[in-house]
Amino acid sequence: MQRQVALIKQSLFDQGYLDEQFMELEELQDDANPNFVEEVSALYFKDSARLINNIDQALERGSFDFNRLDSYMHQFKGSSTSIGASKVKAECTKFREYCRAGNAEGCLRTFQQLKKEHSTLRKKLEHYFQLARQAGPKETARRPK
Amino acid sequence: MTVEQNFEALDQFPVGMRVLAVDDDQTCLKILETLLRRCHYHVTTTNQAQKALELLRENKNKFDLVISDVDMPDMDGFKLLELVGLEMDLPVIMLSVHSDPKYVMKGVTHGACDYLLKPVRIEELKNIWQHVVRSKSRGSNNNNVGEKRDGSGNEGGGNSDQNNGRANRKRKDQYNEEEDEERDDNDDSSAQKKQRVVWTVELHKKFVAAVNQLGYEKAMPKKILDLMNVEKLTRENVASHLQKFRLYLKRISGVTNQQAIMANSDLHFLQMTSSLNGLDGFHHRPTPVGSGQFHGGTPGMRPFPSNGILGRLNSPSGIGVRNLSSPPAGMFLQNQNDLGKFHHVSSLPLNHSDGGNILQGLPMPLEFDQLQANNNNNIRNMNNNNKSIAGSSMAFPTFSTQQNSLIRAPNNNLVVLEGHPQASPSGFPGHQINKRVEHWSNAVSSSNLPPPQTSNSIHHQFNVSPLPHARPDPLEWNNVSSSYSIPFCDSAASTLSPPALDTTNPGAFSRNTDFDSNANGQPGVFYDSLQMRQSGNYGPTTDAAMLSSNPKEGFVVGQQKLQSGGFMVADAGSLDDIVNSTMKQEQSQGELSGGDMGYGGFSSLRTCI
Repeated sequence: MQRQVALIKQSLFDQGYLDEQFMELEELQDDANPNFVEEVSALYFKDSARLINNIDQALERGSFDFNRLDSYMHQFKGSSTSIGASKVKAECTKFREYCRAGNAEGCLRTFQQLKKEHSTLRKKLEHYFQLARQAGPKETARRPK
Repeated sequence: MTVEQNFEALDQFPVGMRVLAVDDDQTCLKILETLLRRCHYHVTTTNQAQKALELLRENKNKFDLVISDVDMPDMDGFKLLELVGLEMDLPVIMLSVHSDPKYVMKGVTHGACDYLLKPVRIEELKNIWQHVVRSKSRGSNNNNVGEKRDGSGNEGGGNSDQNNGRANRKRKDQYNEEEDEERDDNDDSSAQKKQRVVWTVELHKKFVAAVNQLGYEKAMPKKILDLMNVEKLTRENVASHLQKFRLYLKRISGVTNQQAIMANSDLHFLQMTSSLNGLDGFHHRPTPVGSGQFHGGTPGMRPFPSNGILGRLNSPSGIGVRNLSSPPAGMFLQNQNDLGKFHHVSSLPLNHSDGGNILQGLPMPLEFDQLQANNNNNIRNMNNNNKSIAGSSMAFPTFSTQQNSLIRAPNNNLVVLEGHPQASPSGFPGHQINKRVEHWSNAVSSSNLPPPQTSNSIHHQFNVSPLPHARPDPLEWNNVSSSYSIPFCDSAASTLSPPALDTTNPGAFSRNTDFDSNANGQPGVFYDSLQMRQSGNYGPTTDAAMLSSNPKEGFVVGQQKLQSGGFMVADAGSLDDIVNSTMKQEQSQGELSGGDMGYGGFSSLRTCI
């Protein structure tokens, strides 16, 4: 079980879904903060879901206020970076570039991609945490080898 | 460190250090909180800047340090930074995903003592307590003014040359801080957490009025206190504020060149001041110090050794201090007002939005001399650590007094100010400065310091229109630095400054840096700019003033800056020569530094020196 958990985590890293920041977060997890990583992830997803919603609405309006979109994305990028969600972060960066270039089409496309990455990551992480919880608290703190 | 350690035991500092964390992003905030707790700090968090301010205002002594995100919806992080520095004088660390130097510059000029990038790592947070210590020690040093100038100037200079790493800067600043005569007889400083007097805009206005009335040079805390006639204000409060103000002016004067350029409006002021006679501060000779130190993270800019500048600033008597009403970044309002005077002076030269003469007629060299002389006085170093940075008001233009004498060489304006026709060689970096000035236009309302020619007491009251605080100061910084370096060398100076600054409110920031150097080439430059930034306005004017008034000084400063990035070259005599040579160099340098806080410029200056 533990190995399975470790493997899953490793794969997340290998596939580039997560980066070193996630490891740092795990480091922070300790007895005083046993579910830290999970809590942070939950927070992240909640926050980002809200942001995604906002962006969706903004895009749907079709007005393409690039500045506003850029600032949303900036926030998104900030939290994604903090949690180590590298793929999501990459999409954010792309999105922002399109924003700066004023490329609406590019923005839309990237955003779709971003949403996809985001939900994929969410599922994977949820799965991971679930397993980790089952495997035992200690396991979650283990770093992928 | 064991978890069991008592967080409240401040004796075990840094364990238990009280940090206020502000970030609108819940995820980041949570992570930050955990990281800080892991470092054994006592953490309070909020995701709203307003709430943070309330918490801070509620009890000034409740926190040791503030960490804030830059992009927040309810208030700009920089604004919060300024306010905190101005009102509470606490060290503030900025956080952002942006690693863009402009932002970093902005942070520095607004007074941040550090700028961290997200995601933040625990290693970085483990050392943040140094800012608290530094700021505390700076406070106690306020008492001695100017002694160290030379020392600090050199430090600054040398430091400035160093790489721009934030760390370096931090170190330097710290260094400068300590070097500078922080010693001030600010009794309160020792207490650190003493009851703080909030220098509101109104209060600051009174303060400035009192100072002007007495004459910058002659302004003594006791007299100022009497004139101000405010209850519950002690002589110590005034003394420390005066110190800061002086630093600010100094800073501004250094920065003014650049800023002046940027803030066209300030040009006016500067011009005025320069005519006054070399607003001593005005020339703000690009104190390389600032630049050198500057780059990098905004590490404790705090120690602004702007001794020289302050002195200079004062001189420009005529400089009607521009009212700092310029968009004070909020914080420094108080200072701004006062500083405006000063700052503007410095900025004047810079500002010439017409792009050409930064220091129009700022008797830079003159300033220097005066500055130098004044340095001692000025050097009081306003160290307002955070404040200075944030409010950069410190650079109180010392020009006024100095100016007169300094301004010997009407032409001096040049020095820093690029474009100042006076000495500036053709195409002298002035244009660069101009560019900057343009940026600053809003910031530097203080028009250039009036050409130093007039030896009238420059007390420039520059209306230093504080550089628009808002402007990020990457430019400023550059300006400052560049302009500084050559205070005397008009052209040279200007080159220095312009280079890197190009956008954000360079004026504000840079000026500070430069100016400081004027006086001593001190690292103060950095402060100045910072200060300038704060007030936004003052920067420009003071710089101008500083520069103009003291051609020699300007030069010296410039030289210093060039070389060490801020050390003040004391010999004014050769300034002229140097100036010329530097100017040329500056020009080229100016181009170089472009991005880099104008260091490039400095180096060139160095050679000429």
